Parts: sequence; structure tokens; C-alpha cells
Amino acid sequence: MDRSEKLRQRARELLEKGEVVMVIGSGPPSDSGISPVLFATTPEQAENLTASTSCAQNLANYLLKVRDRGKVAVVARGCDARSITVLLQENQLKRENLYILGIGCEGIVENGRKSVACAVCRHPNPLIYDEMIGEPAAVAEPDPEVSRADAEWEQLSPDERWERLSAELDRCIRCYACRQVCPNCYCPVCFVDASMPQLVGRTHNLSDNMVYHIIRALHMAGRCVECGACHRACPVGIDLMRFNRRVAKTVRERFGGDAGTDLSQPPALTVFKPDDPQEFIR
Amino acid sequence: MPDAENFEPRIVAFLCNWCSYAGADLAGISRLHYPPSIRVIRVPCSGRVDPFFILQALQQGADGVLVSGCHPGDCHYLTGNFVARRRFAVLNDLLEFCGIEPGRVTFAWVSASEGERFAKLVTEVTEKVKKLGPNRRLKKELP
Repeated sequence: MDRSEKLRQRARELLEKGEVVMVIGSGPPSDSGISPVLFATTPEQAENLTASTSCAQNLANYLLKVRDRGKVAVVARGCDARSITVLLQENQLKRENLYILGIGCEGIVENGRKSVACAVCRHPNPLIYDEMIGEPAAVAEPDPEVSRADAEWEQLSPDERWERLSAELDRCIRCYACRQVCPNCYCPVCFVDASMPQLVGRTHNLSDNMVYHIIRALHMAGRCVECGACHRACPVGIDLMRFNRRVAKTVRERFGGDAGTDLSQPPALTVFKPDDPQEFIR
Repeated sequence: MPDAENFEPRIVAFLCNWCSYAGADLAGISRLHYPPSIRVIRVPCSGRVDPFFILQALQQGADGVLVSGCHPGDCHYLTGNFVARRRFAVLNDLLEFCGIEPGRVTFAWVSASEGERFAKLVTEVTEKVKKLGPNRRLKKELP
């Protein structure tokens, strides 16, 4: 029995027995290779489930939207499960209301190209799950092209970095798709939407675009699981993963650990150590 | 528009109420001289300083930002500056990553008894920002 068939069988069982009210997973991939998100509330709907790991969205995002409905099953790749861990750490979800069907992830492939987030993925397998469907995936070697590009960026002068980033962020149309697809962006009122007082200008303005993206990245510090959903959602192709990778690297090097990998530990920026490095403080 | 030679930077200083603000006060009481470049904003704790405040100061035309609080272990609220330290570390790295000139934003610990240190710090920060010139990067220019 192949993995998809096994997944459908388990989903049917869960729904038939009434153990869960919904199964969130992904449907058959389209021609581009991307699978749509699938919400199954009846065993019949579960027939369309597949074990494709090429769903562009992070499924943890949808758990927040159905968290009042009772127990929900979710098909989780490595990044989905890490996001769930972050949401559990932040008391946004209840573990007893989740049934996690783990699958090993082969990465998100769109039109034959692996998503940049998946190209450097370190956790393709879920770290928390109730049951694994199929075999865990092998951890692939990170794409050297990505680390080369990051190293090159570090070598640039501040002026060059600013020039390049300005050109890139000037394209931002402030559609906030990056925020909407992010499971970690769940504030009822986002700082960019606050109007009394208004914190960030809403027009297309380089300074405001910069501030939006810097603060967005900061809010992700110690929480971003680098699933790349924001990167894929961006309609103008801004390299958002460059921000996310840098922030995750800072957190990893200074405070240790990857976000969402250890449920027993609180997120890195909510705690401290008395001897945290402070070489940048006078 | 001031020319480069007569450029007097405007620096927004976020000082914590319990240490750095009192340190600045001591510098004043002690009649110590330091450049009149800083505009002090008193905050209850360095932990109150949201990175957004710093960016907004730069957006609104500050040439530099100084953030100062109690030394680690001396926080009036016990752990405020420890938590702030992690936040500032990430901000500091991210600003560097974005190409904001190093020195535009300065973090420091100044206690209530360090009036001299405060005066010296402001002198140094002012010199540094003077060298960098007016803030043109994050400043919001209206069309």
C-alpha cells in the first residue's frame, strides 16, 4: 500500500469514528507540482487526500483558524510540525485538540525547482507526531548555492547592501501576503494595521517598506521555522528567506537551537541567560 | 540644510528611568560638559524599548539613536535588561545585514553613578554620528 493510500485510510478511519472533526492535508498536485490545501470533514472528502509534500502553504496556519471546532487531524511535514510546536509553546493551540499525521518531506517542488527554503532544510521529518505515515525522509545536503549567496552578502559593504536591499524592497507592494500565510503571524491587530496611533505608513514608500520588513523579521526571531511560505507567497518575488535565514542564524549562533524543535524549551527571545553575549553593547 | 562641516547631529536617546536617566542627571549635576546633541526620552526600563521605537526615530529624521539601561544584574525590574539584550542583539545584527551604517544605533549600559561615563559616551557617540553624516537611509522622505 503506498503512502497516499495509507494516509487516506487513516483519515477515513479518524473521520468515521468521529475522533476528529476535520483532516487538513493536501490534494493532488497541479501541473506546476504544487498541491492545494485540502480540508476534509467527511470520509468521502478524504478520498482526495494525497501524501504529496509539495503544498506551498504551511498547514499549521489553518489550525489556528479551526481551533474552536474540536479535535483536528493535520498532515504534517517537518516544517508544519515545527510551526505547530511554536504555536503550542505560545499557547495558541492545545495538543489534545490535535492529531498529527507525520510524513517525511521530499521538499516543495514547483515547475521542477525546489523551493529555496527546502533546498537548505535541516528538518524534513516531523519532530512531533501521533503517528508517522510511511518512512521518514532522508536529510538532503543543503544546497551550497544558498550558503554561497549568503556568504557573498556578508562580504558586501554596508553601502552595497543598502543599495541592493533598497532596490529589492522598493518592489514591495505591501500586500501582506507574507504575513497572511505565516502561522506565526497571528496577532489580532498587526503593527502595520494599527491606526491609533498609526505606527507604519501604509503607502508604497521605501522607508516604510524597510521598517515593515525589518520588524517582520524581528517578530520572527526565535520563532521562524524557515518553511518559506512567505517567500513563495510573495507576488513580486522578494527574497524573504534571506531575512529569515539571517535572523535564524543570529538566534542559533547567539542563543542556540532551531525554532520549534524542542517543545520543552520556550522560544529563544522570551528567555535569557545572564551570560548572553553582549559584545555589541558599550 | 547644514553643510557637512557644521553638521550637528540629532541623536535620540532612550534612557531607562532607574540607571541611565539618573546617570545623565548626575552628569548634569556634576557640571560635566557633553555635546548638546541628544534628545532624551525617558523610558521605565530598557526592556520597554521596542526595536520599532529605534527604527521610527530614524524614520522621523534622527541622525543616531542611543539606547541605554542598567548594567546586567542591576535592573530595577530584575530581568528587563536581560530580555532586552537578546532583542537588541537580533536588531543589531539585522541592521548590519540591511546595510544601516554601524554606529548609527548604539547600545550601552550606564548606571546611576556613572555620570562621567555618560558624558564620555555621548561625546563619543556624537563624534561617531558626525563622521557618518546625516541619516539618509531610513529617513522617510515625503514625495
